[in-house]
Order: sequence, then C-alpha cells, then structure tokens
Amino acid sequence: MAPRWKGKDAKAKKDAEAEALKEPMSKIISQLQSSLVQSDTCGFLSDNSVHLAVGAEQIDLFDKACFGRPVRTVEKDKLWFQLSFEEAFYLSYSLKCLNINESDTGPQNDEELWHYMKSQKETFPCLYKAYSHLRMKNWVVRSGAQYGVDFIVYRHHPARVHSEYGVLVLSDGDDNDLDGRLRVWSDVHCATRLLGSVAKSLLVLHVNKNGNYNESPLCLANYSVEERTITRWSPEQCREKDVVNTH
Amino acid sequence: MEDKTWGCSSSEDSDDEVYLQNASDEEELHFSSSSMPKLQFRNVKSKSCWIEEMGMGEVIEKNGKTWVTTGIVRSGKIYSSIEETLYLMELGALHLLDKGGRNISLTEMYEKVSNRKSGCCWELFEVYRHLKSLGYIVGRHGVAWSLKSIKSSHKPVDLEVTEESKLVHMGSKSEFSINKLFGELQINDLRPDFDVYLPNSRFRKSFPGDPSFLLYLSRNLWNNE
Repeated sequence: MAPRWKGKDAKAKKDAEAEALKEPMSKIISQLQSSLVQSDTCGFLSDNSVHLAVGAEQIDLFDKACFGRPVRTVEKDKLWFQLSFEEAFYLSYSLKCLNINESDTGPQNDEELWHYMKSQKETFPCLYKAYSHLRMKNWVVRSGAQYGVDFIVYRHHPARVHSEYGVLVLSDGDDNDLDGRLRVWSDVHCATRLLGSVAKSLLVLHVNKNGNYNESPLCLANYSVEERTITRWSPEQCREKDVVNTH
Repeated sequence: MEDKTWGCSSSEDSDDEVYLQNASDEEELHFSSSSMPKLQFRNVKSKSCWIEEMGMGEVIEKNGKTWVTTGIVRSGKIYSSIEETLYLMELGALHLLDKGGRNISLTEMYEKVSNRKSGCCWELFEVYRHLKSLGYIVGRHGVAWSLKSIKSSHKPVDLEVTEESKLVHMGSKSEFSINKLFGELQINDLRPDFDVYLPNSRFRKSFPGDPSFLLYLSRNLWNNE
C-alpha cells in the first residue's frame, strides 16, 4: 500500500508529502535530542510510565517527534508529559538525552532502569527491541491499542500521513504473553481483517533472542528482528483486467 | 447460488473502504498545543490539609459545588483520597497544605501517586481523572460516602479500622444482600477498584444508591508489592 498523505484535496496531500520530505523525522528527532541534552531534562518513574516537566519550546518538539502524551493541568509555565516505558527508555538509553531518576531509592543507571521496567512489564524487552528497531529506521511508533495490535507506525507525523502498518511483536521462547497471538488461522484472519478495514497492513516483527537472557540492556544488541507483512491475496484482483467473469 | 461469504466479495478489502472512524481515531493519537483536551479549570479554590498517616486530605475551607460528589464524610469533616485531591489540584480547584502550613506542589503529589502509597497507582489515577472529567461520579469501592448511608439501612454492618488511621472508620456498603454479593464479585482475584455513578446533579452522599458500574483495573500492580 502506498503511503496515504492527509489533506482535503489532492493538492493538500501533495503539500503534506512535500513538507515531510523537507523536514524528515530524523532531523526532528535530533533537534529534540539536543534540546533535551541542553536542558538536562529529568523524568521520574511511576509504575507504568515516566513523567517529565517540559518547557514551552520543548512541547513543540515532543509533538513533532511524536513522543509521549501531554498531561493537561492548570500550571501554565510547565507542561507535564507522560511517556511509555518504550519511549522513555529509547530517549534515555538509545538517544542518551534523558535522565530518569527519582529518589535515591529509584534506579540509578541503565541496568537498574531496565530491571525495573522488566519487572513491571514482562514483555518489555521484546517490545522495546521492536520499538527501537522501527524508531531507528525513522518510523513514528505509537501505541496500537485502538486497533488491537502492539504498535502502529507512521511514515511521518500522524497529522500528515495515515499509518500504514499495525505491528504485532512475536518472540520465540518464554514470552507467553506475546506468543499467544496469531496462534491459529482465525487470529490471522481477525488481525488482517480489522487492520484492512482501516487501510493498514499487518506487520509482524519476530524478535529472536538468540539464546540471550534479558539480564541487561546490552543483550539487546544480540537480538535480531525479522519483519514480515501479512496481507490477504485475492485471486480475483490479480488476474488481467479483461478476463471475463464466469460465475 | 450467490455466495456472500467475505472471501468472494474482495472489493470490501480495497483501499476505498476506509471508515471515517479511522480519521477521528488518528486525530486523537497526535496533538498540537491547540488541540489538547480542554479541562474546565476552576476559579473557586478550596483548601485542604494533607494527612500523611491517613493518605488523605482533610478539607479546611470548602468552596464550590465540587464537594457534593467528591470526598467522604466522617465526623462532620470531608476527607479526599489521593486521586480526588490530585484531580482537584490539577484543575486549580484545591490548595493543598501540609501539617506545617507549607504548600504542597503538584510535583510532590505526582511522586506520591507514583510511590503507590495512599492506595492508588498511576493507572488508577488516570482512570479516575478521565471518568471525572466526563462527569461521572467515582468513589473507591467498599468505602462509604458517608456513615449516614449505612445507618439509614438498619442492617448490621462491619466497621473496619484501616491500618493507616484510627481516626476514620471505613464502612462497607453492604446494605442489601445483592449489593453485597455484587461488591464481593471477584474476577480472577481482582476486586473492584472504583464504584462509578452516572453524572447526577442530585447525588447525595447520604443516599448514593447503587453504582451504575464497578470498575476493575486489569493490571493490579499495586497489590504485588
């Protein structure tokens, strides 16, 4: 499926595409990265997310790079943002632009943060590998809960383009939660049907741990990811156009 | 014979069928500063004192109508749970002080919720906040809004004294046997977290009636410590 840009007419859509080409995601993210490093932003952990207070100029960058959700409060001078574990760990560990520590009792370094997140969310290592794999290729990755998948990915900012893929992350071995999906054919039909009705394809990322245990984030380097799209092939649509229907 | 199974009507799968739902769903996923959810900030401020041992805020100055549907009444005073307190602070409707008269900031309250003391966790707070902003009336399951609601039922009642406080008696809502069975309904070891009532301008803590919904959080992490 070709990317579907957003706009009320063909020209608006072309403009959206042109704007996206002019300002690629990679550039936006490096702007966010340097801004966070400069302001030495620090987030604090809760049991399922990371919160940070950001200044006005960073709100725009977070929005453009599509990290986190705003938490609206009455405070005008600072805005609170809420990041998922994957988003926060990506900013902290991969992009190295965010500190996450609270009190002295909280995680003090990457290893401890990894352990904490893993203890709250058993599926975190594989989901994180998939998230960072896609983000590093400059896809915008957001939660796929609305579509019954793990993530949905956009070629650029969601305001400009419709997302093309719904992502399910599978893994070998001991991740029972993740392995339970796409077990039988009806699951595959269900996922492709649902995604198809919102014009997306199913993208399955198979994370191979290659025998590593998830003891430290360093093991991420040894994981491998296989990407597969699953779409329905309809024979009627693949024939030459001028074949007569003989039903 | 026409076969109307979805396998044959392949045109349904084409790009043309994109539900309008798709567009509006995706709008929700991204934001710009102009399209952020509009909260109704309050002009009228109440004042409370945070009591750490109880994990609740005691209302000192009550202003505005918000207290009709927020907080529990014990011995003539109103106490609010951490989620109720934080919600009102986010709206600018509550000024929170500690026992020494010092202002407690939003940041400190966020940390308290994250630390999971006071019986709440972040996910539960988000749920509370979401439903409240839609107008629902939300209270913790198993905690009576007011002791009058128990006395009015003339039935024997258990009064539990919580560990945190000997000042406040938490009554159980077991007025009717069906209500009691409902209240003890467990789903996979989960107990209900909140009672949710439909928006009601005539809500009375002394006679709240049965909740419209029981809310269970599916990942009850704060029990795992």
